[in-house]
Amino acid sequence: MIKEKISSQEIIDLIASKASVSKRAAEEFLKVMIASVEEGLLAGEIVKIKNFGTFKPQWNEPRKSVNVQTGAEIKIAGYYKVVFVPDTALKEQVNEPFAHLEPVELDVETKKDELVDEPELVSDPLRIFNEQASEIKDLISEIQALSSNPASIISEEENIKKNIIEEEKIHEIVQKDQVLDQPNKGADLTLIEEYESEQPEYLQDSSAEVIETAVKTKLNPSDSKENQLFSELPATPYLENIKSTKKRKVWIWVLLILFLITGFGSGFYYFYTSNYEYPKKYSINEISENISISEMINSISKWFTPAEKPTVVPVKVVIPKDINDYDSISESKPVDSLQILFENPRVYKGFIASERISAGSRLTIMSKRYYGNKDFWVYIYEANKERISNPDNIAIGTLVRIPKLDSRLIDATNPRCLEKAKELHDIYIK
Amino acid sequence: MNNKELIASMAVKMNAPQSLVAVLLETTVATCTELLVNEKIIGFQSFGNFEVRKKDERLSVHPSTQVRTLIPPKLVVNFKQSNILKEKLKDIPHHD
Repeated sequence: MIKEKISSQEIIDLIASKASVSKRAAEEFLKVMIASVEEGLLAGEIVKIKNFGTFKPQWNEPRKSVNVQTGAEIKIAGYYKVVFVPDTALKEQVNEPFAHLEPVELDVETKKDELVDEPELVSDPLRIFNEQASEIKDLISEIQALSSNPASIISEEENIKKNIIEEEKIHEIVQKDQVLDQPNKGADLTLIEEYESEQPEYLQDSSAEVIETAVKTKLNPSDSKENQLFSELPATPYLENIKSTKKRKVWIWVLLILFLITGFGSGFYYFYTSNYEYPKKYSINEISENISISEMINSISKWFTPAEKPTVVPVKVVIPKDINDYDSISESKPVDSLQILFENPRVYKGFIASERISAGSRLTIMSKRYYGNKDFWVYIYEANKERISNPDNIAIGTLVRIPKLDSRLIDATNPRCLEKAKELHDIYIK
Repeated sequence: MNNKELIASMAVKMNAPQSLVAVLLETTVATCTELLVNEKIIGFQSFGNFEVRKKDERLSVHPSTQVRTLIPPKLVVNFKQSNILKEKLKDIPHHD
């Protein structure tokens, strides 16, 4: 793709047609523009063009290099280089075809396991929620394990008992055929009793005792050996166990509730902050930005209304107070007749006097004599531009004409006039 | 030198009102922007060339987290100073 090159002439034509000015004017303008930018750069300044970009001189350090052919060392001297940084407006307009594209993070899935992705933790409330849920689940299962342990021990115990009872039954059946019905019934009863006590009321001390008594009563008619075996069984430690687990359980329940409350609380907090607080925050930021921008604009515009510039401050001290009041009035309406007077080029038609330059004569001295302030020398220079090449060094014998100026322009009591003169001074004396 | 100062100095040089200079500068900027958007090279004799260049998409790797990110292609404005300007800039004394 070969890009078409636009020469300055074509640009001049375009500008002339767009701004509806003559081609000559456009050409002059472009020349002056480039000259001004160059001038600023050569003075080592940064030159900024609104909506276009910034030109700045950049120092490149001297460096050593090697001649490829001979291998001899060459020293490259340091030099300045013009760097152009496009303005955001220009950048965006140029990059419009690709503006919709955004950087994409690659292979997130494969990397996720290895990475400690903290930002995601923070940004993803659901994840936090899930983690908390799993924590709570673990807790619950722990609690269940704790509480079911003694129960299972008991049930095992009971199973053993049942087995023994059944064995007994068989014994009884074998031994006492006549009284077959009675013990059977009794066994059934105890079994029912056991089941009842086993299922929901394993926490109750009395139920355990009931089991004990039931078993004992049931075992009474059987062998003394087995009776002994059962009496040897440690019943009391289990009871204590049950009691302690009861206490522990209460504590665990309290903890669980606390966890749930904090979990839900934090979950909701993250959820709301991530979904609802951020837009608010952004809007606040935007507002504050707007404010700061407007403040900036205000301050900048104040800065540029000439009366406010700090360079005038020493002059302000000299002038009486009522003039300061006048300043504030003139500040309130920035575009007034004085402003127009300042911005338009001055045309020098009438002259009040003419002087021949002699040794020791200065434009500033003439200005002081004719206008009452030395700062207004710039206007004398402007009127005699074609004769004076350098205002700092005027050839002796030059005839200088002192122009008649608008009295508003050379009002030494008005800081804006002094400011304007200073501005022109800065332009003429580099 | 900011925009305002530039306009002031240009107005003095052209002997034209600042408002006119400001308007002309705006149109110039608009024209240049338009030309650049249409992918044209703007050459100012004795100053330099403005050109739009395409920066290809690339893969960037975050040095500490090793996150690989695909940076999309973009169009940027490039300024190349002319040799005349380069010679002129050599005259600036360097003080550091």
